[in-house]
Amino acid sequence: MSLCVLDEENFHLCCQLLLQLSEQLGDGWSWEGGQGSQEGYLRKTALRSVVIDSSSVWDYEGGWSDTSCQSQSEQQEGEQEQAAVDASADTNSIKGDLEEQDEDDGVCVVSAGSSQLLQYEYHILHSCSYSTPVLYFRTCTQEGRSLSLEEVWSSVHPNYRLRLQSSPLNTITLQEHPLLGQPFFMLHPCRTEEFMRPVLQAAQDQHRSVNYVLSWLSVVGPMVGLDVPLKYSTLLHPAAPSPAEILPPCTEAASST
Amino acid sequence: MADDKDVLRDVWFGRIPTCFLLNQDEVTEREAEPYYLLLPRVSYLTLVTDKVKKHFHKVIRTEDAEEMWFEYEGTPLKWHYPIGVLFDLHASNTVLPWSITVHFKNFPDRDLLHCPSHSVIEAHFMSSIKEADALKHKSQVVNDMQKKDHKQLWMGLQNDKFDQFWAMNRKLMEYPTEDGGFRFIPFRIYQTMSDRPFIQKQYRPVSPEGNVHTLGDLMKAMYPVALSNEGEPKRFQVVIHGIEPLLETPLQWLSEHLSHPDNFLHICVIPVPSD
Repeated sequence: MSLCVLDEENFHLCCQLLLQLSEQLGDGWSWEGGQGSQEGYLRKTALRSVVIDSSSVWDYEGGWSDTSCQSQSEQQEGEQEQAAVDASADTNSIKGDLEEQDEDDGVCVVSAGSSQLLQYEYHILHSCSYSTPVLYFRTCTQEGRSLSLEEVWSSVHPNYRLRLQSSPLNTITLQEHPLLGQPFFMLHPCRTEEFMRPVLQAAQDQHRSVNYVLSWLSVVGPMVGLDVPLKYSTLLHPAAPSPAEILPPCTEAASST
Repeated sequence: MADDKDVLRDVWFGRIPTCFLLNQDEVTEREAEPYYLLLPRVSYLTLVTDKVKKHFHKVIRTEDAEEMWFEYEGTPLKWHYPIGVLFDLHASNTVLPWSITVHFKNFPDRDLLHCPSHSVIEAHFMSSIKEADALKHKSQVVNDMQKKDHKQLWMGLQNDKFDQFWAMNRKLMEYPTEDGGFRFIPFRIYQTMSDRPFIQKQYRPVSPEGNVHTLGDLMKAMYPVALSNEGEPKRFQVVIHGIEPLLETPLQWLSEHLSHPDNFLHICVIPVPSD
């Protein structure tokens, strides 16, 4: 088995560890699905204050999956005006005494134009086709109106928008949730293995253990407003590393490929 | 084998006679006539209904026409499933033509994906092909293809060109002889008895002992309820493209011949009609 492949069993080990840490940090993740059953997903909800700039109509239709796996540099023009947006979210400033809902951390965009409070629901599932985790999410206004794909795109921070279009991290599409059968936005997993490989390789070289799901989430989450507090990592890797104290690693870095 | 090539044609050219009726609650300026079409089983509703849209747009005011969506007996029809799957799953016991209700209001956001243009269908279709190839060949075949090859698959489906599509698709159906089949069989098992839309897992065409896996083996492993025990009356039908293949049929053969153009084997489990 390749180093970069996450099978369903290891996915569950990673999720269990993430849940334990989330509980300590009050980060609000829960497991949904049958108990003891392998089928289920990690779930978290959050309120975020977001500016939907409907004037910047972005041609998301160009971002269909074929191109989604390739760069789209021509789309990058016209995004500059958005760069003035102030990314004030201090992603790593999670406080120890945090309650489960923390709106301050969710403020991702402050600019001219009125911000609105949106309800986000994030799901992490395992893809048996790609042997990777997949991030699904949906978002609606306080009145319960679901956001369109276009609105979701415009709520993504411009810097991330460029990355989503020009990097192997891929694009956001509307897909059917494979367990719920409802429309969810999804960050496509077809290049996940590719961008996770250096992370896992580096960990292996340094004989560090890695929680695949946590590392992956810290890469893809912030693009759609889901911040992963640094404390997850400091809990996993205390300043004085004593591997025996660390919870069982999900991906044994020392294992051979 | 010459016979097997015919199977591919029969699958590709499967048609369902359909009658589209405008939802009665739509405000019309005059009475809307029904619209009849022969729908290709392997295509997608929103890909082949531009004429339906045009037809009904004639009788409703432009400002009343929101995104078009389809419903059958109260069930919103998911355009991103192949038409044949929708029919087998929801309407296989209906009298033909299949009567589909057309809506232009109250799009059910919670049930259906939006489909603002054909490029969204193309994205969905290519995404499925890629996923299938991830299972079959670790994405090697689809990644080795050029963009124009991907386009050829899509154009073949969109324009109903069997030869154009299969000239490229056969590459996705190859495998090393010594392996005896794909790495995993891309399949989805649908049923309407629970909210779970479908079952999809990793399943190999050949067992570790070297035995060929059959459709029956797959069903037993994934959805044993669908099979009836000996001596018991049959409760469910296992349907692919409107037929019940023998449960002894090798899965690899089914995957190569009865898969939809998206390269997935779509299997419907439906209750045996009571009458």
